[in-house]
Amino acid sequence: MTARVVAMAARRTGGALLAACVILAVLPAVLELSSYTHNQLTLLFITISGALAWNWMGGFVGQVSFGHAAMFGVGGFVAGRLMLSLHLPPPVCWVGGAAAASIFALGGHPLLRLRGPYFSIATIGVGEASRVIFTYWERFTGGSSGLSLPIDADLKYRLYWWALVLAGCMAAASVAIRRSSFGLKLLAIKADADAAADVGISATFYQDLIFVLSAAVIGLSSGLYASYQSYIEPADMFGFERSIAFVLMAVIGGVGTALGPVLGAVVFVLVRLYLLSSRPDLYLGLYGGLLILIILFEPLGLTGLYRRGQRWVRRASGQAPGGAP
Amino acid sequence: MARLVDMLVSAVLLAGLYATMAYGLGLIYGVLRVVNLAHGGVIMAGAYLSWYLHEQLGLDPYLSIPVVFGASFALGVVLYQGLVRRLPRGAAGGPASLLLLFGVWLVLRNIAYLLFTGNDQVLRTAASSQSVAVLGSHVAVNRLVVLGIAAAIGVLLHLLLRRTQVGRAIRAVAQNADSCTLVGIDVNRIYALSFGIGTGLAGVAGVLLATIFSFNPSSGSSELLKSFVVVVLGGLGSIYGVALAALIVAVVEVFAIYVLPSYLTAAVGFILLVLVLVLRPGGLFGQRVLS
Amino acid sequence: MIKPPHFRSTLCCLLSLATIAMAPGCKPKAAPPSDRAEILIGATLPLTGSEARAGGFYKEGYDLAFDEVTEQGGLEVGGKKRPVKLLTYDDTSTQATAQSLADKLINSDKVDFLLGTYSTALVEAQSSVPEQNKVPYVTGGGAASAIYKRGYQYIFGIMSPVELLGTTLMAWIDEQQKAGKLPRPAKIALLAENTAHGKDFRTGVTEFANKSGGGYEVVVNESFELNGKDYSPLLGKVKAAGADLFLADAHLPDYITLHRQYLDAGLCHKVVSYGARGSEKDAVNALGRENVNYVLSGVWWSPQLADTIPLAKKFVEAFKAKHSGRTPEWYQALGYETARVLFAAIQQAGSTDREAVRAKLAVLKIDSLLPGGTVALPADKGWEAQNSFIVQQNLPDGTAPIIFPKDVAKAAGIAPNPHCTP
Repeated sequence: MTARVVAMAARRTGGALLAACVILAVLPAVLELSSYTHNQLTLLFITISGALAWNWMGGFVGQVSFGHAAMFGVGGFVAGRLMLSLHLPPPVCWVGGAAAASIFALGGHPLLRLRGPYFSIATIGVGEASRVIFTYWERFTGGSSGLSLPIDADLKYRLYWWALVLAGCMAAASVAIRRSSFGLKLLAIKADADAAADVGISATFYQDLIFVLSAAVIGLSSGLYASYQSYIEPADMFGFERSIAFVLMAVIGGVGTALGPVLGAVVFVLVRLYLLSSRPDLYLGLYGGLLILIILFEPLGLTGLYRRGQRWVRRASGQAPGGAP
Repeated sequence: MARLVDMLVSAVLLAGLYATMAYGLGLIYGVLRVVNLAHGGVIMAGAYLSWYLHEQLGLDPYLSIPVVFGASFALGVVLYQGLVRRLPRGAAGGPASLLLLFGVWLVLRNIAYLLFTGNDQVLRTAASSQSVAVLGSHVAVNRLVVLGIAAAIGVLLHLLLRRTQVGRAIRAVAQNADSCTLVGIDVNRIYALSFGIGTGLAGVAGVLLATIFSFNPSSGSSELLKSFVVVVLGGLGSIYGVALAALIVAVVEVFAIYVLPSYLTAAVGFILLVLVLVLRPGGLFGQRVLS
Repeated sequence: MIKPPHFRSTLCCLLSLATIAMAPGCKPKAAPPSDRAEILIGATLPLTGSEARAGGFYKEGYDLAFDEVTEQGGLEVGGKKRPVKLLTYDDTSTQATAQSLADKLINSDKVDFLLGTYSTALVEAQSSVPEQNKVPYVTGGGAASAIYKRGYQYIFGIMSPVELLGTTLMAWIDEQQKAGKLPRPAKIALLAENTAHGKDFRTGVTEFANKSGGGYEVVVNESFELNGKDYSPLLGKVKAAGADLFLADAHLPDYITLHRQYLDAGLCHKVVSYGARGSEKDAVNALGRENVNYVLSGVWWSPQLADTIPLAKKFVEAFKAKHSGRTPEWYQALGYETARVLFAAIQQAGSTDREAVRAKLAVLKIDSLLPGGTVALPADKGWEAQNSFIVQQNLPDGTAPIIFPKDVAKAAGIAPNPHCTP
């Protein structure tokens, strides 16, 4: 795989990404979208950012976290508090939320020494402990009553573009990281942390770095979410269901791939919307079954299926196997 | 002083339940090096099964234990042969096995929800409201029975692993699976057996849980985490370690109420888990978990 | 580092999108008013999930109110009779879903008004959506006063705050104390679930105790996690505190678990209450009749009010006729009354203009089946009704008569708890 081939593929992806963003940006003006669709798309973009951020930890470096809701909660509540108590403009509050989530992730440094299932189970512990502690910390989170943020219909409307920008940057960053030497180092750590250390790649430093980056984006998306909902409360923000959702989206879309989580988030949100109206009591089983099928048959989820499809098409049209995947 | 005795008695009884929950998880991890994330789901399934048998057939939950063990054992073997066996072994299998079994847990939850609705259920028997005086404090009969059964299971497990041919094979596979194939042990069969016994024990833990607490399809996550704390703290390969660790965890939880505001005691188990994993991953008696 | 060549330009374009986003010119388009003949009212209810039982009951109340109006040929609005239709979705007891569906109802289904969902958490989360969209939202399912203290203008509640529940219970207890049946000072063990509901209950009780001039001492004041399993450490604390009165606030599953462990621990107090819980059939079945005797409960409404309040009698009869003789509980009554309040406001406004209806809701005062016989939504309480609660007590003969307030009481309450006489 020459550098030139990689560059070509990257240009294709970059171009496609750009085109998608532009289309989505002008969509509300071109199609008379109902408020409901507009809002659902905003939520989708926020969800995509979160899924991509989780994938940096769970996919790129291989540390599957079942407790990302902790950082989501911290980010959202800090942003909310800044808005309520200090009346700062929303973008400043969102950045504040991102910073708080990053600091929280730095505090999670000792956890990064753990590998595999031990890390994952520890994250369940952190997630649940955060939920209980922050629900108790009434002065900060409002306890079970949560925080009611000032209602701003204009902001909610413009959130569509804010969220689109975030999702777009995240997608571009995911592609960039994946194809850079940074991404290679992460892959090395994922495959064998000790061997990576032997060639001079410090597992601690890079894991901390990606953990903090992941947390920052989750915190940012959480701030946007808080502005979108105008009401946040600990059981929902820190809940186990939320952590599970991140995992599901990344795995369904393709854990470890650059843009897989985007697909996963879209599928996840669509399925939830559709199931809501017909069989809301089946969604857990559906995701569980999907998870099992994916792990057993196509570990790279939808992205894996897509690549298989690509190879099949290429083979069927008589092209020699090879070329950029 | 009376309060202290009360609390210790309470802790000992709770420890029995935690030990039973932990044996199943520990066995599976010790032999297959797989963390059974569906553990909580099987516990919940065991609780529902004994509740169902009690409601429909009037079967006393303590008598239903062999039945639930059998059903959970069968479930475990099916899960192993159908799913877990296909996973790659070793480090690469790590996240995959977690996610796979997590998926199984979600499916179990949904099945329970469809069959029995999400409402809390409770197993009420004659023993439920009786209590006896032990060392001057009121002790519920059902908790005493749970302790007794937990102790019996511990002894049985010990006998199985140390005194039987199968037990020796299991221990051998846990130590070094590859060498075992050389001496003619069907490693796959042992894996299936261990997985089955592990889930069987989880099912029994579910029955015991149902006799004391209420449960619903979402039950299982805190049971899973507590089992994990006990397993890690007690180390692998030691039944006494698990029992002692269960006691420690129970004591910490019971005494925490006097130190923390009661709402925060819900976090104690989780905090203990994180602390144990980060500070003493080798546990008290067993091997290190980092390698 | 191998950079995709378009990376920089992608970033530039995205940044320019950001400036678009900040441009003040972007404003949401206002929705055009609908000119349908029928009045479409939307609601979400938890028909599945943890609140499914109550959600189903509320739906029965809503349906009864809508059926009554339909039987009359429609709602009389501005001289014309217009049909009313209810559009419900299942919010599966999840907050995010409740919000999404409220958005859908308003912006996709274009309903005129909204009726609320059940449970404080869901109402609190959902209400920001009608507020944002300026749609009147009437609920009988959210009791925590926090919902109504946010300065929202479009949210109206007919469910009295849980603080009043605590105060009403204490008022009856106070009577008993003045009559010499309870010690003075009386020690209170106060437990509540860690939700807005529980918080309000604790506030109501502690405030009453503080104002009582030494009549009550709160010796245990703790919150517990919803759907908890093991209350024995907490109950151990209660035992050690040697309280006279045991006041708790819990949802039904926790009530059952908590009371079971309470009995296991051999506890018994002169007055026992679980807030709004007490006489539910499920609890009686799970705990055994003898074990729930003398438990007090404070509820928003009881079918026993049919003897003293005419609208309550009418409601009970209509419900029994529709549901083969089954007696309604307070869930159905509140659901029915919520819809009725909205209908009254629409009729008084004479149109389906949202602002006009909102203005009428703000000053509404009509006859009601609720305790007191009328319902009004005071502005200074955030438009939450402040009707009194009624206190019931489980008696050994299987009934649970109202014992307080006096004007609707059917029996005198019994204190101290005869179970506990040593």
